[in-house]
Amino acid sequence: MAIIEVKGLSKNFKVKMKEKGLKGSIKSIFKPKYKIVKAVRNISFDVEKGEIIAFIGPNGAGKSTTIKMMTSILYPDKGTIKVMSYDPIKDRKKLSYEIGTVFGQKEQLWTHLTPYDNFKFFGAIYDLPDSVIEKKIEELNMLFELEEFINTPVRNLSLGQRIRCEIAAALIHEPKILFLDEPTIGLDPVVKENIRTFIKRMNKEFKTTIFLTSHDIGDIEKLCKRVIIINDGQIVLDDTMDNLKYHYLNKKIVEAKMKERINLDDEDGINILKDKGYNLKIEVDTTKRSVADALKLLNPDNIIDINISNIPLEDIISNIYKNKD
Amino acid sequence: MRKYAFIIKTQVMSNLQYVFNLIFNYISYFIILFIFFNIWQYIYSDSTNLINGYNLNQMTWYVVITEIIWMTLNGRKFCIQISNDVKSGNITYNINKPYNYIGYVLSTHLGDILIRIGIYSILGVLTGFLFLGRFPDLNIFSVIIVIITIFLALIISTLLITFIGLFSFFIEDSGPFYWVYSKLILVFGTMFPIEFFPSIIQKILNFSPVYVVSYGPAKLFVDFSWNNAISIIIAQLIYLAIAYLMCYLLYKKGVKKINVNGG
Repeated sequence: MAIIEVKGLSKNFKVKMKEKGLKGSIKSIFKPKYKIVKAVRNISFDVEKGEIIAFIGPNGAGKSTTIKMMTSILYPDKGTIKVMSYDPIKDRKKLSYEIGTVFGQKEQLWTHLTPYDNFKFFGAIYDLPDSVIEKKIEELNMLFELEEFINTPVRNLSLGQRIRCEIAAALIHEPKILFLDEPTIGLDPVVKENIRTFIKRMNKEFKTTIFLTSHDIGDIEKLCKRVIIINDGQIVLDDTMDNLKYHYLNKKIVEAKMKERINLDDEDGINILKDKGYNLKIEVDTTKRSVADALKLLNPDNIIDINISNIPLEDIISNIYKNKD
Repeated sequence: MRKYAFIIKTQVMSNLQYVFNLIFNYISYFIILFIFFNIWQYIYSDSTNLINGYNLNQMTWYVVITEIIWMTLNGRKFCIQISNDVKSGNITYNINKPYNYIGYVLSTHLGDILIRIGIYSILGVLTGFLFLGRFPDLNIFSVIIVIITIFLALIISTLLITFIGLFSFFIEDSGPFYWVYSKLILVFGTMFPIEFFPSIIQKILNFSPVYVVSYGPAKLFVDFSWNNAISIIIAQLIYLAIAYLMCYLLYKKGVKKINVNGG
């Protein structure tokens, strides 16, 4: 049975417009002009219990707006949402006991207090008895490896440590669904990986359904079995991770600085994107040739510097559109 | 209620590090009181004189108490904080928590107030005693009633300021509204008792917030009577209910208007 059901959801924002300069500023006082931004346009999807689902899209695609409507923060203009069969707007309080939220760009912890005091606070907010809170803190401490800094004020923690505490705090009341809105934003690759491991572990231990938004393709590749891609307020793809990988994540970008020039013109599975003498940028089709194989062609002794990355999300989206046409 | 008590406790814990700032702020309190003490001493050429029913001792203690309330409340900062929360969209992160937002705001501000009232009332009363050498006529019951009315005054003020701050849902900046409100309280209830104004204004002030948030507790401290105490507490309870309802309705209306793009 679906734990989240979204049908025909839409949300518009009214944004004030202002013409350039002082004249425009004065004009906007007397004759304000507004523009309607269609943030979310008629989207529908279901999420099953225990799933880790990725909800991805570029900046401004409508990810956060959708998550905020599902978590009682924003009122939808049209459509229905059922989260654990609650209506997020009508049953706001009841739903709050069942869900946890983490917003990567917003601190929910009290910065002057230690993570321990924060956990006690959130436990009390969710009406948990002291003994239960203590037990839960112990459990989260183990799971997220917080021992080292559980008694350090949050303001003195690194971003990665803080995000771990944010996630732990959101789990204190054992929510059935955890909404993670860009939890790895601003983190370095090592810490990102670390956070992903914790998220995976949490899903395994507590069977928590996880709804994750991100614009980092790496987040979802490592974590999710299913992915929804949203662009311009509309769902452009709702598919399994395996299918996405097969159709769209089968290419890697390799950028290399070489000691000597190299010719890859006729190589199968390699598409040259940029060739500026000693700086080379190629796209490797991993269905035809492995990345290791491509590196052999470049000759490791000939490489001064190298960077391997996924194709940007924007390119995947435009590919999806192309395939639809 | 346990969760709100916990919010207050957490806010107290979070703010304990600012205790030294508060002691530093006391300097401005001392200066204000020093100026008023000298003005009133000059005006009351004889300390047994009565002006509008107040002698020098009562008049100075009146300002001691109203200034303690004023400094404890720190209304401007609180109003700006609520207004900024609304404008930046930060308020949204409180919506999906299992508490009532107005209760949450009230509790966090009470957490701030508890530390300040402790420090300012000790320092304020000591300063008053330093200038005047004696207390007004009080007994244990009147002191308890005064403390209750001071707390009610602080809660009502918090709600009224929350109401003004929540105006930011509908207008760009609620600052000017707070400016007008704070000056009314300062002039008509903090510096001078209501009896100092013309009778027509007195009638209006008796029904205004000034009566419940500033004048009432100070009046009871300098001139206690059970009749006054009852009417002040009844007025405070009525104001409390109205102020809460106003905040609740404004919040309910405002929250539907929230526009938070991205983030």
